[in-house]
Amino acid sequence: MKALILVGGFGTRLRPLTLSVPKPLVDFANKPMILHQIEALKAVGVTEVVLAINYQPEVMLNFLKEFEKKLEIKITCSQETEPLGTAGPLALARDKLIDDSGEPFFVLNSDVISEYPLKQMIEFHRGHGGEASIMVTKVDEPSKYGVVVMEETMGKVEKFVEKPKNFVGNKINAGIYLLNPSVLDRIELKPTSIEKEVFPEIAVENKLFAMVLPGFWMDIGQPKDYITGLRLYLDFLQKNSSSKLATGSNIIGNVLVHESAKIGDGCLIGPDVAIGPGCVIEPGVRLSRCTVMRGVRIKKHACISSSIIGWHSTIGRWARVENMTILGEDVHVADEVYSNGAVVLPHKEIKSSIVNPEIVM
Amino acid sequence: MGSSEDDKVVAVIMVGGPTKGTRFRPLSLNIPKPLFPLGGQPMVHHPISACKRIPNLAQIYLVGFYEEREFALYVSSISNELRIPVRYLREDKPHGSAGALYNFRDLIMEDNPSHIFLLNCDVCCSFPLPEMLDAHRNYGGMGTILVIKVSAESASQFGELVADPDTNELLHYTEKPETFVSDLINCGVYVFTPDIFNAIQGVSSQRKDRENLRRVSSFEALQSATRNLTTDFVRLDQDILSPLAGKKQLYTYETMDFWEQIKTPGMSLKCSGLYLAQFRLTSPNLLASGDGTKNATIIGDVYVHPSAKIHPTAKIGPNVSISANARIGAGVRLISCIILDGVEIMENAVVTNAIVGWKSSIGRWSRVQAEGDFNAKLGITILGEAVGVEDEVVVTNSIVLPNKTLNVSVHQEIIL
Repeated sequence: MKALILVGGFGTRLRPLTLSVPKPLVDFANKPMILHQIEALKAVGVTEVVLAINYQPEVMLNFLKEFEKKLEIKITCSQETEPLGTAGPLALARDKLIDDSGEPFFVLNSDVISEYPLKQMIEFHRGHGGEASIMVTKVDEPSKYGVVVMEETMGKVEKFVEKPKNFVGNKINAGIYLLNPSVLDRIELKPTSIEKEVFPEIAVENKLFAMVLPGFWMDIGQPKDYITGLRLYLDFLQKNSSSKLATGSNIIGNVLVHESAKIGDGCLIGPDVAIGPGCVIEPGVRLSRCTVMRGVRIKKHACISSSIIGWHSTIGRWARVENMTILGEDVHVADEVYSNGAVVLPHKEIKSSIVNPEIVM
Repeated sequence: MGSSEDDKVVAVIMVGGPTKGTRFRPLSLNIPKPLFPLGGQPMVHHPISACKRIPNLAQIYLVGFYEEREFALYVSSISNELRIPVRYLREDKPHGSAGALYNFRDLIMEDNPSHIFLLNCDVCCSFPLPEMLDAHRNYGGMGTILVIKVSAESASQFGELVADPDTNELLHYTEKPETFVSDLINCGVYVFTPDIFNAIQGVSSQRKDRENLRRVSSFEALQSATRNLTTDFVRLDQDILSPLAGKKQLYTYETMDFWEQIKTPGMSLKCSGLYLAQFRLTSPNLLASGDGTKNATIIGDVYVHPSAKIHPTAKIGPNVSISANARIGAGVRLISCIILDGVEIMENAVVTNAIVGWKSSIGRWSRVQAEGDFNAKLGITILGEAVGVEDEVVVTNSIVLPNKTLNVSVHQEIIL
């Protein structure tokens, strides 16, 4: 079975992290974002994944070679030379997605983190016999998104309404599709929107069905949602494979610690924390609701909450970092400094406190 | 040592490196600062072409921390264009500017030069190098420093010097002092005789001796202010100029022309204007002209790359520089701005006090503007590479990082 992951775009909302690596390679819960998806696809028998990209192909290709070997799955790239929207890339990758088997193929949006119940989706798709299946997820504020109006019993999709002013439903497109090869005949190689042009066409023919996503879902394309997404993901891990989470008297709630990370005495870690490979957390540190990327050193007595600390950064002794502080790669926060929501570009030193949220270039 | 007029001269231009200069962001996210265009030419082009006026110039070295490939194309094309050998040398680790000179002394001395110029790339001035060399020969010292008078308030940002008013000898030098010493400052342009290498080596060995001594006495270790510097890290200002002041070795040459440091994007707009004004005097044929009949109306000093296209109803200037393949539509007004390669500005848009990044697109009736304070953090609006400003949107006093599209107006903001 084949799959396409829509990676396109510059990831500008995840800056400054995406100034150092392309978005799909930004770590989430100690794993590159895209690896979560590739592993879920492999688990249901996908043998080839095509990445639809338009940015930094060299960096992506290097990473992919490494993971192709480890995961034993074929990974190729389909590079857009001009932006093709959300459907055009499927046409571009047509030859890679269709083979003689006539099997349907998955399409995933790379910004999405969820439980990926792909096996259930395959059964759902076979069950209704239609041309295309999409996952939808329930949200509190549907008018921020595109709402999928569907009939309850079979899940047949009636229409899409973009950012509705009045309530028409609370299910939105979760960015996970399972499509028959015939869908590709509907897509021309030009900038095309799958939600605005392709799916409505299939819906009118009563061949589009939606499945409500069980479990958590988050678009982690921006820092605020990344932090919320980590909470949801760790909660999922706790229910399904709690052995992966850390335990101990210095751990509160769900905490993920890479085996190569070191945590000193007298620390209090959690809830909702991820600590990456090679990190050193010195004694007396308090961490909550934060992500600490590879190679970071947090010095004694520091306190970090609701923040993301980029690769190879350091946080000084007694520093306090909170309220959506996002540090890019190689940022060094001096001892005793306070950061309230600073967003810091890579390769900087923060020597004095930042009392109000600001961008440090 | 006897100096004849046939003696060769080598110039060394310090170009810095990528992670050291974060102040030039966001422009430095896409291009090494030395290659950013001022007055239509890369920043480093200005000192390089000034060097060409030095008689018997044998070689120019660019020294920095950038990867070689970032300068390979530029160096080969400029060598060809100016018919002087220009070579980029990459430092493997920081040596300080004097240490860097010393690090490459074998290459520098290959041509057996009688004099060596050392220039900082991010300095904007008229580079009166032949005149400096003549003055230096007359003084007969080891080195001559280019200096300029500035206002007393701004002097403390630089190296302040005191010079003998009759002999022009350097009497005293201090870097960024807290109290007022002098309104005469160091321009970052120097000429030396090869004795400079002995002086630098002297500092290195002195430091080595002190280090050895330190191993014997730990009190010495606590005392030493230079304990963090390795023996081959030699700063020009603190380690050479300061100690040698007043010893009849160093002299000063004062320039009465303009001088600025190009540390931020805002300053690059100011310096682009200074160079355009200089072209008005030295090579007016490089500047654009037009009166709105066949070509667009041009006011003041304006540079337009030959491949750029401007609609005749546009009005351009003063202080505007337009790079290759830019397209300026009908009724556009450009004032005090740098328009980089491939930019498209649609009808009736206005751009003032801004730098518009490569391949950006500025919509109809949109306005990209700033208050024009070259020194303020948001005093000049900067649009990074491939930024889209949609029709009728106003962007004021803001910085926009590459690949963003603005469909609502923004004011006083940094958009990542």
